[in-house]
Amino acid sequence: MATLKTKSNELIHPMEHLLRMDRIPHIWCPGCGIGTAVTAFASALEKSKIDLDKVCIVSGIGCTGRVAGYVKLDSFHTTHGRAIAFATGITLGNPDLKVVVFSGDGDLISIGGNHFIHAARRNINMLVICVNNFIYAMTGGQVAPTTPLSAYATTSPFGCVEPPFNIPYIADSSGAVYVARWTALHIRRLTNSMAEALNKPGFSVIEVISPCAMYYSRINKLGDGLDMMKFYHDNSEIKHGEDTKNLDIGFQTKITVGKFVDRERPTYTESYKKWLSEIKRKK
Amino acid sequence: MNPIITAFAKGIKKSGVKPSRISVPSDIPFEPEVVKHLGVDFFHTIRGRAIAFGTGLKLGNPDLIVVPFIGDMMTIGGNHFVHGGRRNMDLLIICVNNFVYREIGGKSAPIQKCEKEQTTTQKFSPYSTFEKPFNATHLANSCGAVYTARWTALHTDELANSIAEALNKRGFSVIEVLLPGPNYYTSIKETDSNLLNFYYKNSVIKNGEAPRFVTITPKEKIIVGKFIDKERPTFIEQYNAQLSKTLGDKFTPHGGKNG
Amino acid sequence: MKANPRNVNTGIYYIDGDVASGQGALAAGCRFIGGYPITPSTEAAEAFAKIAPKAGAVFIQMEDELASIASVIGASCAGVKTMTITSGPGYSLMMETIGFGAMLETPFVILNIQRGGPSTGAPTKTGQADMMQSRWGSHGDYEIIAIAPESPQELFDYTIKAFNLAEKYRCPVMIMADECVGHMTEKVVIPKADEIEIEPRRFYNGPRDKYLPFKPDKDLVPKMVKAGDGYKLYITGHTHDEKGYPILTQNSKVKTQKSTTRRLVDKIKLNADKIIELKEENTDDADVVVVSYGISSRVAVRGIEKAREKGIKVGSLRLVTVWPFPDKKITELAKKVKAFVVPEINYGQVVFDVERCSHGEANVILIPHGGAGVHHPDDILSAIEYASKENKKIEGIIEHKTKLEKLIFEEGYKLKE
Repeated sequence: MATLKTKSNELIHPMEHLLRMDRIPHIWCPGCGIGTAVTAFASALEKSKIDLDKVCIVSGIGCTGRVAGYVKLDSFHTTHGRAIAFATGITLGNPDLKVVVFSGDGDLISIGGNHFIHAARRNINMLVICVNNFIYAMTGGQVAPTTPLSAYATTSPFGCVEPPFNIPYIADSSGAVYVARWTALHIRRLTNSMAEALNKPGFSVIEVISPCAMYYSRINKLGDGLDMMKFYHDNSEIKHGEDTKNLDIGFQTKITVGKFVDRERPTYTESYKKWLSEIKRKK
Repeated sequence: MNPIITAFAKGIKKSGVKPSRISVPSDIPFEPEVVKHLGVDFFHTIRGRAIAFGTGLKLGNPDLIVVPFIGDMMTIGGNHFVHGGRRNMDLLIICVNNFVYREIGGKSAPIQKCEKEQTTTQKFSPYSTFEKPFNATHLANSCGAVYTARWTALHTDELANSIAEALNKRGFSVIEVLLPGPNYYTSIKETDSNLLNFYYKNSVIKNGEAPRFVTITPKEKIIVGKFIDKERPTFIEQYNAQLSKTLGDKFTPHGGKNG
Repeated sequence: MKANPRNVNTGIYYIDGDVASGQGALAAGCRFIGGYPITPSTEAAEAFAKIAPKAGAVFIQMEDELASIASVIGASCAGVKTMTITSGPGYSLMMETIGFGAMLETPFVILNIQRGGPSTGAPTKTGQADMMQSRWGSHGDYEIIAIAPESPQELFDYTIKAFNLAEKYRCPVMIMADECVGHMTEKVVIPKADEIEIEPRRFYNGPRDKYLPFKPDKDLVPKMVKAGDGYKLYITGHTHDEKGYPILTQNSKVKTQKSTTRRLVDKIKLNADKIIELKEENTDDADVVVVSYGISSRVAVRGIEKAREKGIKVGSLRLVTVWPFPDKKITELAKKVKAFVVPEINYGQVVFDVERCSHGEANVILIPHGGAGVHHPDDILSAIEYASKENKKIEGIIEHKTKLEKLIFEEGYKLKE
């Protein structure tokens, strides 16, 4: 994307029309991967040719929870964990809207885990972008359900004792129609994935593995954001269509990325309409 | 509930576990007499919190064998279910699935009988439902359960065996039992034999079937059996191992040998 | 009973209130904390996670607050002392299960480091707007105990007291601190174990077949047993009789519902005199009494000093235990004084009870504060000055705006026709 110029020859950011520039600078730390995910999302919005007036973005609480506040769509910053439930309401209230839930691992999988599996089961029409930085960063580095075994966090000062979730597997098993995982390094592929998922009806999940330089890397002594990017570069492996059960992430182990699931299933609204017409016919 | 309770009692006997070691947090009420007969400690918790409550019981006293009974098919308590599985908390979940009827979709006799009756659950979706049900086994497996089995009210012996086996197994075990809930049960009591007949005709035992393929779908046979039986360190084992590693002598393992 | 030396990290520390509370919990004998990170209470969970394993206690970070509180009640039923740590939104999530805990009469402690609300509000800023929620939050009738500490040292001391009260009266005990106290770093002295008094759990040790889980002792509090001791416990959140069995027949349902809720309420109400702790200063000759709690009471100290310098006879009544409310004390003071001044970081909660108990005999002046900060001592001073000059009896609560608020909303909001 080239740098844009206004009529008065002023330099503007190429994504200015998609971001709330009046809220910039953002709150994310140097080396964080959330900004990358937002850039990829903004590019995907353009690439997908979707009507921007018909896209809503919903976030929960946390670092990634702030995304809704920086994207110039109809944005909703909801309570902790309830982003998906809130988005379910939007999409059922007005099925013409495409709802994007952009939130973190703690928000979506920990406290919002139930909404996540249920929305997947119902196949609600929404795109869930889950930025996974392996930790609760907003509150200062607590253990998350995605923290790899034996990694350190402030509430697991002697190493994490709980195995992490395999987010693609749980999404797949609950019934998501599109599941992909990328790291913050795979910007182009991430953008393509997002663009593809934006045009796909049904419950799509894209997990974005993101560095957290301030907490996860610092507590575990993994260097800064750049070091994490180098790590992703050396240790991520693209395997499209891999069985989701093989996607566990250990502490500093190989990360399998790719598009794992892309299937068709009637969405909630579709089944609802079909069922309604059946009932009407019966009567 | 009766077939499950009977199977549970049989299972306890068979497993050789002392009933007083067993605690049952449940969101389904049991009859006091039943509890007395079973000899277990019973906690009727609020809806959906049986697993979370059980997590506390187990960590508060690792000697206990905690058997949460969940009746809401993971609606309100779904999150506790998946996280319990992830942690591999040492719990045996008896998941009482009474919604099968509607989910099968009014295709067979017992269901149509049910649909005429306006029971409490049906008032909520009076025209039966169109939502896809959970494949509890697959979900349990994807979040890390070590033991999953599914039986119907017909397979009481198999169910008792499964319960006995799972009581002696460490880790997050899930036994799904298909049966109509009390509301249905009372309304179709006269068709008891019909119901069992239905199960007899429509279920097929496939032990070791891949969890992905055991979804309950209309018009297809219900696959029952023991699907997963694997080993994974439980939460308390993992906790003790990790903390002994980092803290060394300063740390006394939680729950001693029973952890 | 004295504290176990293994749990007490004796020494002089320079720590914040949250950490002090974590230390206090361990010293009180807490064996289990199920928590979930939420600003500004997280440090307490972190502190406990760090010190617990060495003393044989467990910290588990649950998946959400619903799970935290349920696991805490479960662990309490297993026979150990338990606590959970939270703040505003998490506290709201816990409400249903708090009522369940009150019904089961399981002892447990909740540390609520209050923040600005409603909803997400101001997570890193202070507030005192959960006071009424702590009392009435869950549905149905029950009583709880709430303590409002004002310093990190008090967070240590009163966490221990909270555990003791919870064990003694078998009810949920809330430590209603605020962000200012939780994040305030000060000197905290952790005494030796033999200087810490601990209330052991009321375990039953009579014959096994005679045990009735909800048969009250003389002080209306029943005795407990551990799960797994062969008592064949039947515990339910339904209205239950002394055996713990749910009541099914219509007639006895009415009777038992009354007797159960009556006892849940009365075991706190009738023991209120023993539970309530107040700090009273110069109220004997006072014209005006400042009724305050939490961080507001610390700010009030300076306001009172200034007023005294000006020759106003002002006393201070600090509510250490806010609930149960010291009805008698307020009524007694109302007969003597001209007015009460109540600074609160909310738009009026505890002040309603002050007004209720003053029975119109003294003016009640509220200094409301929207949160995200504390009162300026001058605000309290000006309210005291106004109170001492006002000789008329004024019905209802008189709002005395803070300087800042006057600046922002000079005229206040007015409904437009």
